[in-house]
Amino acid sequence: MTQVQLNAVRKEFGSFVALEHIDLDIQSGELVALLGPSGCGKTTTLRMISGLDNPTNGEILFDGNDVSDVPVRDRNVGMVFQRYALFPHMSVEKNITFGLRVRDIPASEVSERLEEILDIVQLTAFRDRFPAQLSGGQMQRVAIARTLITKPSVLMMDEPLANLDTNLRGEMRRFIRELQQRFNITTIFVTHDQVEAMELSDRVAVLFDGRLEQFDTPDGIYHRPDKTSVAKFMGASNIIDGVVGDGGLKTAFADLSIGDGGAFGAGSQVKAMVRSEAIRLLKEPEAGAQNQLSGTIRTADFFGATVSYVVQVGDYELNVDEHSTEMLEPDTPVYLQLPSDRIWLFPDEKG
Amino acid sequence: MSASVRTAAQRKARLLLIAELSPVVIVLFVLFGGALVLAVLQSLGFAPWFGVNTFPDFSYFGALWGSSAFWVSLWLTLYYGFVSTIIALIMAIILSLALIKPFRSKTLYKYLYKLPLMIPYTVGIALVVLMLGNGGIMSRLLAFVGMIDNPGQFPQILKTHYGWGIITVYVWKQVPFMTLAIYAVLLGIGRETEEAAAILGANRRQIFFSVTLPQILPGIVSSTLICFAFNVGAFEAPFILGGGYPDTLPVVAWRYFNDANYAFQLQGMATVVSIGIVSGVILFGYLAAYRRYERMRGRA
Repeated sequence: MTQVQLNAVRKEFGSFVALEHIDLDIQSGELVALLGPSGCGKTTTLRMISGLDNPTNGEILFDGNDVSDVPVRDRNVGMVFQRYALFPHMSVEKNITFGLRVRDIPASEVSERLEEILDIVQLTAFRDRFPAQLSGGQMQRVAIARTLITKPSVLMMDEPLANLDTNLRGEMRRFIRELQQRFNITTIFVTHDQVEAMELSDRVAVLFDGRLEQFDTPDGIYHRPDKTSVAKFMGASNIIDGVVGDGGLKTAFADLSIGDGGAFGAGSQVKAMVRSEAIRLLKEPEAGAQNQLSGTIRTADFFGATVSYVVQVGDYELNVDEHSTEMLEPDTPVYLQLPSDRIWLFPDEKG
Repeated sequence: MSASVRTAAQRKARLLLIAELSPVVIVLFVLFGGALVLAVLQSLGFAPWFGVNTFPDFSYFGALWGSSAFWVSLWLTLYYGFVSTIIALIMAIILSLALIKPFRSKTLYKYLYKLPLMIPYTVGIALVVLMLGNGGIMSRLLAFVGMIDNPGQFPQILKTHYGWGIITVYVWKQVPFMTLAIYAVLLGIGRETEEAAAILGANRRQIFFSVTLPQILPGIVSSTLICFAFNVGAFEAPFILGGGYPDTLPVVAWRYFNDANYAFQLQGMATVVSIGIVSGVILFGYLAAYRRYERMRGRA
């Protein structure tokens, strides 16, 4: 159980600034995702927490103690690399016990802990195999076991689900979640995949260009992003310009009623986000419904469980996701309902 | 119909494969293999073109192996071969590990270290004579700074049976070659396994011996194999820089071939075949041991 804090951490590689300035406060036992596009500095952050790289400025604290000068091997952290970094010339057993053998742990304790961890990661039958003889999921379990056996204070994972196929991802996601809760270990993982970040973590830190944009729960990041850049990265497609009026929002295609202008006073220039799955799509209008707009389907893309429509409303196009139980053809006239409590406002960043 | 079309296509593919393999087959089996057979035949007394045909006649080997000078020559040959290969290997590993790290002027170093690869052995030998010979630059420098009274007091480095001159040339020439092979393997394995080991608590010594070294072994084995084979068979460096009689085996062979008496060629062939047997046995044993190690570690 370790609390991890990053205070004003900055990292430069020569003239290249990998991380501008990061403040991050990760609670003990929390599972946090560092999410961002490639090159945003998330892996650099992970490497600095592990001690593989040192920050140019700022400090990294474990339970309030500055560890910036503690060398990697004394930091007692665990890291699961994206491509696992297993030792190819060692059997599963030797890979897993490596961290104990280099610390001169007595052989009896090594074998005791080995049996225990082999059982947890369900690799007892594969103990004598070599990494080249394992599947991706098995290699990842070896990498996790090799780390957990050393009882690290912080567990780090670089893109833990990226190299696994779809079926295995679900299984591994549950496995990592279970392990993390069982060991109650502070866990930080890096991903560029929004879904992976949301399905696995307690909180998500969104990083763009070496800056922390938002640090919040998956629900907060998804439904209540601080900025349109975060919203767009989280897949929001309907971001609309508007002006806050009295209890409503004036947009180019309609006056929408909004639950609560929040911090925005009347006359504020804002941007509004409506998630495509929050919009209801109807073939017939409903009497007395709020924020009901008429439009025409432009395109319909079938994704299996859902259908993604582009609906023309006046001069504006809105994206709408619906269950695929009924599929409507392009050029069908439809009615859209935008629930007022599903309209989220940001300040207009251009202004 | 379709079956015959398929066989025609297969025949064509097989002909193409034979054509692609033939250059190496011709060089290896006809030129080299033929020469090897001839060498063995001559060493056993078959040389009718010199008017000698006592085949099969083991007296040439008997005379060679029966003289104590042969065994000293063999010892010297192997000693120069082993020592220079091992010194070059240690230096090449250190250099490769350094080149993996990021540092300023790395690009320059990556060109510089390869320089000896482009310079012929003979030039290297000349440089060693110029630098390390008595009356060479080193002796004059030491005399100049007053560490010795005159260049003549400079210790004899060349033309001794310690073979420091020979070893210097081999090391100078082979460090870049081995570095090239080991550095390439290091680049291929990347730094992740070393980083993983460091995070797991290993110190630098543990990382090198249990993580890095086993992974660069293929590069080490292939490059030391080639260098050792060359060192055992090379002639010019021990001829010029060696300590004289007893010479290394290739020099002994050369002296027989160069003799005015043609009949000595057969003795020379016996020497050459002996070098082949010795280095063949050593290299085969080395490879077999390495294969065994690889199999033990799960690699086919």
